[in-house]
Amino acid sequence: MTVIPSDQKWFDDLVMELRLRQAQGAAIGDAVASARELLADTGQSAQEAFGLPRDYAAALELPIASDRDLVRWTVWMSLLGLLAFLLFTQTATAWAQGEPFLLSPPQLALLSAPAVLVACLPLYLSAAIRKRWPLVLAVLLCAVTGALSAVVAPATRAEAWLALDPAPLMIGSAGAMVLFSVMSTIRTRRRGDIDDIVDPLAPGPARRTVSARVIPVLTDWLFPILALFTLGQILLLVR
Amino acid sequence: MNGSSQHTAPGGEWPSDWLRATLGMLALRALESGPSYGYAIIADLEKHGLGTITGGTLYPLLSRHEAAGMLVTQWRAGEAGPGRKYFTLTDHGRSELERTRADWARFTDISIRFLGAERPGKEIPE
Repeated sequence: MTVIPSDQKWFDDLVMELRLRQAQGAAIGDAVASARELLADTGQSAQEAFGLPRDYAAALELPIASDRDLVRWTVWMSLLGLLAFLLFTQTATAWAQGEPFLLSPPQLALLSAPAVLVACLPLYLSAAIRKRWPLVLAVLLCAVTGALSAVVAPATRAEAWLALDPAPLMIGSAGAMVLFSVMSTIRTRRRGDIDDIVDPLAPGPARRTVSARVIPVLTDWLFPILALFTLGQILLLVR
Repeated sequence: MNGSSQHTAPGGEWPSDWLRATLGMLALRALESGPSYGYAIIADLEKHGLGTITGGTLYPLLSRHEAAGMLVTQWRAGEAGPGRKYFTLTDHGRSELERTRADWARFTDISIRFLGAERPGKEIPE
């Protein structure tokens, strides 16, 4: 069945709203297939037949997954992982050069911006998931302030406000990244295939493709993998 | 979808309050004669003069009935068109329909008598 583009956006929003409500993947698949069935019969647009995706998702009152707040957990882990990653890249450079990790007030202010963004996450999390651009903006701000903090890093110990041993910070941030990844992996494995959106008309039990099994694990370990890659580059540049 | 009944609402639609109160039992009634699917239920209600019910109203209602054990569902592949989700009344749904139908008959009987032109004059309690 063909889905007109505006309806595709409606269905994307419906799936997101049902995810936010922690509906199970099978129930989401069922709701989507039911809606598509009726649209095929009536020729109506999704908006016309079902109203706003947010209202329709709320009205359906689908059974929720036992593991609540998956989306919020995922975003929290991602942003905390990003913070640990930024700290790791800052300290790894100093460590590779055998120098102390120097901090100046403007650099600290720039480094604290991502921390503030993460701390304020509860205030804009739902909006960030629904609209997406606040989340993209938050990640961009973290990346830009992280990069700028490297630019304004003091060149000499005399310019620095604080001179810290980079090794404990680097090990600590690496440990934090690994810890977040382990926690995410445990959660991913415990959930199994409960989040997979299953087409109720698909013949036989749903089989997870290799990519469907591997991608969540890769996502859970994204920051440690990036950190290893970054460390390799830093070591190559220093030598 | 075109209604064919002569007993349609003035202007085509009944007040939403009335439908909100009765749609639960009307949907059960639409399934009394056998399993049916979303569009067929909507068309059946419209054909019998109950107005056009949207999917956004019907499906959440059916979902609640299913959660309450009044319905079971089954997906069947369509031969030419889309696959269909069929709703079937359970024994609990059937007895719930019987109960609400009897209650509704009593309620409408009382309401009609109250609204009737031949009703005795206003009785003011002392």
